[in-house]
Amino acid sequence: MLKINNLQVYYGDAHALWDINLQVRRGEICTLVGANGGGKTTLLKAVCGLLPIREGSVLFDDSDLLAFKAEERVSLGLSMCPEGRKIFPGMTVEENLAIGAYTKRAWKKRQSMMKQFYDLFPRLKERRKQPGGTLSGGERQMLAIARALMSEPKMLILDEPSLGLAPNTVESVMEAVQKINGNGVTILLVEQNVNVSLQISQRGYVIESGRIVMSDRSEMLLSNPHIKQAYLGL
Amino acid sequence: MTSFPILFEQIVNGLVLGSMYALVASGLTLIWGTMKMLNFAHGELYMLGGFGLFFGVSYFHLAPWMAVPIVLLVIFILAALLEKGLISPMLGRPDWDVGAIVVTLGIGIFVQNFAFKFWGGDFQEVPYMISGTTSFLNITLAWHRIYILSLAVIVLVAFWQLMKRTRFGLALRATAQDIEAATLMGISYRRVYMATFGISASLAALAGTALAPIFSVNPWMGSGPLIKAFIVVILGGLGSFAGAILGGFIIGISESLSVLFLGSGWKDLICFALLIAVLMIRPSGLFGGKEW
Amino acid sequence: MKNETYQDRLLKTFRAANPCLMWAFFVVLAILPLVVKSEYYLSVMIICLIYATLAVSWNLMVGYAGILSFGHQAFYGLGAYFSAIMTMELHLSPWIGIPLGGCFAALLSFVIGFPCLRLRIAPYIAIATLAFSEILLVICKNWVSLTRGEMGLSGIPPLRDFSLFGLFPVVFSGGAKVPYYYVMLSIFFITLLFIYFQTSSRVGLAFKAMREEQDAAASLGVNITRYKLIAFLTGSFFAGVTGAFYAHYVSILAPDAVFGMGEMVEIVAITLIGGIGTFFGPILGAFVLVIGLEALRGLADYRLMIYGAVMVILIIVMPNGLLAGFNHLLEKARNFGMFRKARN
Repeated sequence: MLKINNLQVYYGDAHALWDINLQVRRGEICTLVGANGGGKTTLLKAVCGLLPIREGSVLFDDSDLLAFKAEERVSLGLSMCPEGRKIFPGMTVEENLAIGAYTKRAWKKRQSMMKQFYDLFPRLKERRKQPGGTLSGGERQMLAIARALMSEPKMLILDEPSLGLAPNTVESVMEAVQKINGNGVTILLVEQNVNVSLQISQRGYVIESGRIVMSDRSEMLLSNPHIKQAYLGL
Repeated sequence: MTSFPILFEQIVNGLVLGSMYALVASGLTLIWGTMKMLNFAHGELYMLGGFGLFFGVSYFHLAPWMAVPIVLLVIFILAALLEKGLISPMLGRPDWDVGAIVVTLGIGIFVQNFAFKFWGGDFQEVPYMISGTTSFLNITLAWHRIYILSLAVIVLVAFWQLMKRTRFGLALRATAQDIEAATLMGISYRRVYMATFGISASLAALAGTALAPIFSVNPWMGSGPLIKAFIVVILGGLGSFAGAILGGFIIGISESLSVLFLGSGWKDLICFALLIAVLMIRPSGLFGGKEW
Repeated sequence: MKNETYQDRLLKTFRAANPCLMWAFFVVLAILPLVVKSEYYLSVMIICLIYATLAVSWNLMVGYAGILSFGHQAFYGLGAYFSAIMTMELHLSPWIGIPLGGCFAALLSFVIGFPCLRLRIAPYIAIATLAFSEILLVICKNWVSLTRGEMGLSGIPPLRDFSLFGLFPVVFSGGAKVPYYYVMLSIFFITLLFIYFQTSSRVGLAFKAMREEQDAAASLGVNITRYKLIAFLTGSFFAGVTGAFYAHYVSILAPDAVFGMGEMVEIVAITLIGGIGTFFGPILGAFVLVIGLEALRGLADYRLMIYGAVMVILIIVMPNGLLAGFNHLLEKARNFGMFRKARN
């Protein structure tokens, strides 16, 4: 579904990403893991159009993603839940969800979509008139994911959803991710928490210092000695 | 002491003036809230509103109620184009806050002197929207002033609802709070900026058309409102819509009342005194730091 | 060692020549009256020097210390009116009035600076200084008993004649421009020297840190408010001195001539043209703009329109002023030239 070929990304004059080749297959949960500063967020920003790409191509459902401006990519069916959640603090939960359905197609359906998410995340329903800034970390993550899904995307990218969350909360977030995948949404999960993400995904990539160093099925990666040593602390 | 009718008249004047200050200041605070910049050309947009009405009535022989919407539309488009062409390029740069101020200052000065050079320095008369007066409790009130107050209330309420409920309003607030996240939602921040500037300009121009019959149209009519609007925005809190409204009325009424005690030459001093007080005591203003 | 193209050498020479050109410029300024006898040209030069001093002192605040002040003309006007009134009412010598005018301007800059310079965001300072200048305009126009309001002051005494080394009489009352030229030139040079030493010292380092990144500087122990005040006081002092000189030079004063927006715009445009934050930039800008507009006399009506357009165009295209813009263009030309060579 998503094909990234030979991507080169620069921050100004500094070469940040080298020769990135990555594929996400339709319907799967694919994960990209790596340490802090490894380039995960940089790659995601580049895919979403928030960073310019010097060389390489990105194909989404066989259309050239780079031909579209950043704000146009949502309507293609690609949605991202960004690092740090980035919910709108001054807007209520309901307004955050509403703006998630900004695209013309989704806007008409937003009431029914919101109802769905209130059923999926009852805590959001309780707090729907509260400003986003008053929510706890876990609630924000739920909100951010729900918001990203309001546009009815074909593929959802999640950038470090477990960041700053207690282990219980991480579990419920990952459960929700699996449920969403079960509903037919392809997932690209980017994580620092290697263990959890490899457990729920089918395939994985490892990125270090701006390069993809490993790619395999998730269960193979879990038993890989380098991974075990570097990321799982074993 | 002053008699009740005179006091009442000054209070009404204060409300009328204050409502227009609120209108102009709302535009200014809208731009600050969304784009984090100060528009130093805001006063000239007010002035263009006044001149637009003048041209519409004198050259195109339109009735005022027809001329005003046309003027607003033209200024909306002009402002949006200005934003795209001259201001957005500044916003991407590292010292954009200074750059945006300088650009808008330059635009303002250019426009003001363009008007002086090509349209003349004479004070031009413009007809009232509704002429004549009415009586209320033995006090005469000009219809035009009632018009101004009602206009302000309607426009400000409409504006508030626009921000709160419409898709565009949500998009604008989202852009103001987090540009990257807004882009991920599918919002084009460039278009939001253009529209923000356009709306802000229309608000200022509307105030210009409303006050033009009272104060006459001239190239420098915008300088006073610009400074007053800045002071209102600081008093109310940068970025706060409620603050702009409340601040506008506070300044309007204080100014009007001070005419009774200080005379018209010194009345401008009141708002400056308020400014200094705000900066010393509570720089963030009445509602500073809050959103809509 | 790669081959140097012709453009390379041109760029290097131009860069190296910059300080030499500056000194040559100062020498020319110093000997100008010996060569140019026309009273008209000298008067234009005096105006250039006035604006150059104003621009340099404003540049200290904005370009070096990062205080976005739009009230510089206030200090210009304060110095002018103070000296004019003191010499007219108290019969002080203008020679005393001029430095006192500077001190008065500096005093008031402290009064306004103290509350405002605490504020970190550029817009606050811009609005506060602009408002300050407008208040002064209002006060000046309305305090008729002191300032004669919009009618202005006239008959301000010229500088008092004196004898140089007891031998050469220097006469100001005769209306000759040469003595005034040298006085303003001296003010100009003194201002430059003071600013040069200040910016080269520890104070100047603090300025630079503040301008670049206020919060980082504060965390390193730089007392931001204190250094901002220093820049503010210095800049306003020299603006005040210049204003006082102006009062005794033209002998008449009107509120709009000194406190008005026109003056502010001129100062901003000049500094922008020359290059904010550079040493020589504002000087270059002053001479270019004043002489340029004087030469294009027919455009007098369009003066402020031109300034406005200049501000807009410059800040977008050449935000670092003409000198830097020119250097930049030369570099681009050089790169282009090299690229074309490589393709052959």
